[in-house]
Amino acid sequence: MSLVQAMFYLMAFVTVGSALVVAAGKNLVRSIFLFFVTLFGLAGLYVLALADFVAVTQIVIYVGGILVLILFAFMLSGKEALATAEQQKTKFISLHNLPAFILAALFLVVMLNVVFKADINNLPWIKTAIATKNVVPVNGTGINDIGVGLMTRYLLPFEVISVLLMIALVGAAHLSRKEPVEA
Amino acid sequence: MNYYLTYFIVAAGLFAFVGLFTMFGVYAERKVSAFIQNRLGPTETGKYGSLQVLADMMKMVQKELIIPAAADKILFLAAPVIIFIGVYLAFAALPWGPGLIPANINIGLYYIFAIISIETLGILMAGWGSNNKYSILGAMRSAAQIISYEIPAGFALISVVMIAQTLNLQDIAMQQGILSADKAKFFGFWDVSQIGGILSWNIFQAPHLMVAFVIYFIASLAESNRAPFDIPEADSELVAGFHTEFTGLQFALVFLAEYSMMFLVSMVGVILFLGAWNTPLPNIGSLHLATWTTGAGWGIIWILIKTLLLIGVQMWIRWTLPRLRVDQLMNLCWKVLTPLAFACMLISGVWRLWIM
Repeated sequence: MSLVQAMFYLMAFVTVGSALVVAAGKNLVRSIFLFFVTLFGLAGLYVLALADFVAVTQIVIYVGGILVLILFAFMLSGKEALATAEQQKTKFISLHNLPAFILAALFLVVMLNVVFKADINNLPWIKTAIATKNVVPVNGTGINDIGVGLMTRYLLPFEVISVLLMIALVGAAHLSRKEPVEA
Repeated sequence: MNYYLTYFIVAAGLFAFVGLFTMFGVYAERKVSAFIQNRLGPTETGKYGSLQVLADMMKMVQKELIIPAAADKILFLAAPVIIFIGVYLAFAALPWGPGLIPANINIGLYYIFAIISIETLGILMAGWGSNNKYSILGAMRSAAQIISYEIPAGFALISVVMIAQTLNLQDIAMQQGILSADKAKFFGFWDVSQIGGILSWNIFQAPHLMVAFVIYFIASLAESNRAPFDIPEADSELVAGFHTEFTGLQFALVFLAEYSMMFLVSMVGVILFLGAWNTPLPNIGSLHLATWTTGAGWGIIWILIKTLLLIGVQMWIRWTLPRLRVDQLMNLCWKVLTPLAFACMLISGVWRLWIM
């Protein structure tokens, strides 16, 4: 087993293991902190897949942004509110153990089916790409390709996403604004 | 196998350097603060109090590790380690001289920016784990401050990256001296590729980067929780903020993280704006000062001098300016620094397109 393979199995074990503990854990705050380990393991897997930019972006957005915001929400809500939330009986989506298990198992069957049917090593478009030399070499210039791609071929989706974020910002500003006092 | 051994040696060397710098930094901070406040500082332990830090370290190691009864044990014990590791990991991508860089990754700057955000998580962990209202208030203030100041800092960095057109820190360093592959122009009109020295530093290649540098420097003070932005540990209101409950070695780790963060942000500032490991001495006629003082050994000396000077400024500011209030802090960030940083980014684009 090469070092890369060993790293892959280590990262995969860390990611899956910590994700399981996150889902099964009783202590909500510890679960959030453990989710950080999951995200880090996932970033490691991205690095192994030669997607270093995606890996770093994952850390910036999820660890630096989303996780910290989730923690903020937790800390603002206080320990008593958290305790009642943990013991809540009528949940928004309430499933008993058996239906949840069946749902998960069926989904697993679907996913495994896709994996085995896809036959990843012989996909036609990958074969044509290799035959016509239409591949990106592994030399660390991935970020240049991403930049050029975002500004040319994928410009419209990129701009649409920026408009979406703008709308979200405007909405947030509107919600947090004080209503003018009517005279 | 030797290949991997080198990595371990480099990592251990960086750790040793961080430790040594922290010892030096604590001593310097006490002496500088004493000088500014017209005191003497440590004098008793060793000549001029030079063994004071060593004595403090002995004291820290001997102290009992106290875990508060109501604390979340795992989070409380893990927090200082995570705070420190977040900063220490970023040292991997910093260039020390031509050809001297622990990990020459092509997205080095972005990596550092990402890895620093782990520190926020560690601070929140410390605040929550201590189960103490001062700690949690300090942690929340710290997180709010770091998240806000990442924006002007990020845009100041982007304006440099737009000029340099790379995220590789070694390439950015290379462009600011006589080893540059492309042309370096002083203020955009005078070709100084062969002259080098202070004239080819980024802040002189594109003068609006001086503004960007000041923005970055202010934001970096806030990101390392230093005065005047030390509301997370405001002693007069919050005891000691998020590290109120830590004792002994854990407290030492928090301190280690603070000083290595100071060094890290200063060094990133030096690399991006102040010519990295390039010499400040230009070639004048037949006096080839820049050529003589460029090299791996010189590189380490120059970058250390520049970084330590910036750290000196950080200390000077800490002991001169009073602490900002929370609303003043946010006003400064969102109403002054962020628009200015946006303007810098815009000018960078224009500069790159039409002048360089």
